[in-house]
Amino acid sequence: MKLEESKAYVDDCFNGEPASCSCACPFGIDIRSFMERAGKGLWIRAYRIFRDAAVFPVIVSRLCPQPCRENCQRASIGDEPLALRDLESACIRYAINRRPEKYAIPPKPQRVAVIGAGPAGLSCALNLAQKKFGVTVFEKEPGWGGALRTHPDFPAFDEDIALQFTAVETDFAFNREIGSLDELEGFDAVYVATGKNGSTFGLPAGRDPELMTTSRPGVFMGGAVCGIPLMESIAEGALLSRIMEAFFQTGKATRPDSDSAATPCVHYLNHDGEEKRPLVTMASPDGYTADEAKAEASRCFRCDCSACRDSCEMIEWFRKMPPRLGVEVYTDSQAGSSLSKRSLTRETYSCNICGKCKSVCPVGVDLGALMRFSREERFSAGKNIPAFHDFWIRQFDFHSSDAFFTSPPEGRTTCEYLFFPGCRLGAAEPDHVLKSYDYLREKRDTGIMVGCCGAPAFWAGDKKRLADNVERIRRLWEDMGRPTFIFACAYCKNIFTLMMPEIEQESIYSLMAADQSIVPARPFEDAAVFDPCTARDDGTMQESIRVLAERAGVAVAELENPNRCCGYGGHMRLANPALYDEITEHRRNASDKPYIVYCANCKAVFREKSKVCAHILDMVHGIAPGNPSPTLWFQKKNALEVKRTLMKELTGEEFVPGKNEWDGIRLVIGPELQEELDRKLIIEEDLKEAIWRAKQSGEMFLSDDNVFLCSMVQSVLTYWVQYRELDSGEYEILNAYIHRMKFNREG
Amino acid sequence: MAPNRSWKCAKCDKELVLKKMLFSYLGHTFSHEIMRCPTCGNGLIPKELAEGRMAEVEAQLEDK
Repeated sequence: MKLEESKAYVDDCFNGEPASCSCACPFGIDIRSFMERAGKGLWIRAYRIFRDAAVFPVIVSRLCPQPCRENCQRASIGDEPLALRDLESACIRYAINRRPEKYAIPPKPQRVAVIGAGPAGLSCALNLAQKKFGVTVFEKEPGWGGALRTHPDFPAFDEDIALQFTAVETDFAFNREIGSLDELEGFDAVYVATGKNGSTFGLPAGRDPELMTTSRPGVFMGGAVCGIPLMESIAEGALLSRIMEAFFQTGKATRPDSDSAATPCVHYLNHDGEEKRPLVTMASPDGYTADEAKAEASRCFRCDCSACRDSCEMIEWFRKMPPRLGVEVYTDSQAGSSLSKRSLTRETYSCNICGKCKSVCPVGVDLGALMRFSREERFSAGKNIPAFHDFWIRQFDFHSSDAFFTSPPEGRTTCEYLFFPGCRLGAAEPDHVLKSYDYLREKRDTGIMVGCCGAPAFWAGDKKRLADNVERIRRLWEDMGRPTFIFACAYCKNIFTLMMPEIEQESIYSLMAADQSIVPARPFEDAAVFDPCTARDDGTMQESIRVLAERAGVAVAELENPNRCCGYGGHMRLANPALYDEITEHRRNASDKPYIVYCANCKAVFREKSKVCAHILDMVHGIAPGNPSPTLWFQKKNALEVKRTLMKELTGEEFVPGKNEWDGIRLVIGPELQEELDRKLIIEEDLKEAIWRAKQSGEMFLSDDNVFLCSMVQSVLTYWVQYRELDSGEYEILNAYIHRMKFNREG
Repeated sequence: MAPNRSWKCAKCDKELVLKKMLFSYLGHTFSHEIMRCPTCGNGLIPKELAEGRMAEVEAQLEDK
């Protein structure tokens, strides 16, 4: 993987970019951070942010014309802009330590002559001295300040300048007028900052506006002598120190990649609906009190896009924004090498890949796509965590083999339509498939395919498994005369759109909605529709559900924030159980009303969370919604039963599922334990197999009260089963658990 | 459930003893003492270990 590849997913993200006020600021002050600290009364920290950018904080806080205020987004809702200078003054007043830091870096050999001790020259001298260059400032007047010397506030400016120079060593040669640059032999560079109408030493007045270079190598010019306004003159000094540094290192003046000069703001956030807050007024003309300043600073929106984080528990959980994730997906791919040891495992596998972030992002950044890319890369490199996805991959394999069935309508070899209910629908409720198919084939020439769309492989990053499944479905579709697929699951529909766009699509819900003869049962008087994340862009499917629910007489309520993943997406549950619990709990509580769902996975999640809900097909087929979810083992049996029924009806053949030697083992599992097993994704048949194998090998443990304990390694997991043999010949399961580590008894 | 049930190896009819066992996960290998049959070497992982310390170490290795 190349860094550019992972960063490409998040390149458009502008989180962390300067806000519009900072863009307009001559110093590029990080006003967002400044306001955050000031709002909390962290005056020293606020002061340092301000001082580090503004060089001479007292001068700037009194004389800056505040272009930031013209660009303050408070104004976009009719409020007064933030009172920047008053807040800067407050933080100068309340910061109890304003001493400049001393930098412990070695002195540099180059020497710079600065001509003029006005704001431009002083700023450059101070910045160069901080970098430990030798600096001599030549000034014809008896002291520093230049044009500011006659300003009524000069005593305060004088104090500010003196304070900032306390931590550096700089030579000041006052009362020393430079008549010719030849006097400065021995200096490695010269900065001409002679002020308004000052001497240019015979150099052409023009300078390179980007680099401040003149026609004479090593001689730079800036500040009021070049017509630069006061604030920009101070800001230039800081920039020039970096340009000179590059000049000393490479012999060529170069502008740094990140400079603080004002740049146009490109992205604006929408503040409609934000609470209006008036400017905090001063009780005393001397300036804000600390409390007033805190209140004023807290009016700042601190404009920065966090639309994805605001809509996604996963991003909030890890507190990593897209630009950082883009880089870390790359460093993760290098983990274990000498380049990087950082891993992004938990983040990569905690994503629901639901697309919500993309839908709320002003520039459409899709973190789900980035996480899927990461999963695919990890899978290809053998760096995936098999235990996170093994359960569902086994389910996928089962639905693509033992439980897979496809057929055109009875007596036909091709068909116009093919019903693809999705693997989870019939497993949860066979009648959702069987009755829906009866309905469809009564109306039109419809065959059926029960299998898996490949979502588990898609989410696991297993590209080959996904591609093989796609290839197989495509072949069968060709064989059946290229029928239009009718979906009952929005996820299947999405996978087909992505992988098999040539296949025409239809949803069973829109067909049913268009059919006035369908009048669904009314399980609730009012309910909220819980739209699955995958139907986000499918307005037709969303509206069909509402048509059916309203036809049933249900008063339909809308969720405030729809199309968020129920928690099932991305199969993140095993990678981050605590986050899964948080997400599912949030979705459960998104409305007090019962839910109408149209995704089998949403239904399974809400049943598990004891949320009253009905699948729209429950309503259409008159199935009571109160039924508990079948156990995992029953879901497999349901899938096989669906296949058996369809095969018998369509081909007349009897389906005989493959038999296992442990099928005859009968288990007794209490309801509480059953719930625990389902939660841990432990299927009954694995327990049977473990017991059967232990009885074959004799390898098990026995307690003094006749309880047995045995284990079995199945795929990437080790299963443990604690049981008692009952007189009836059944096995009472007392406990079962799994771990991912393997142990080696030869060790 | 009695947490302190005492187990013996049903195959060898031997009391278990505390002994080192090699564990491996995601390419990492390490040893830890668990209760094992002194004859056949079969080891017993109790639920508390599997879902406690082992799960923690698994998560640490996954995050490496």
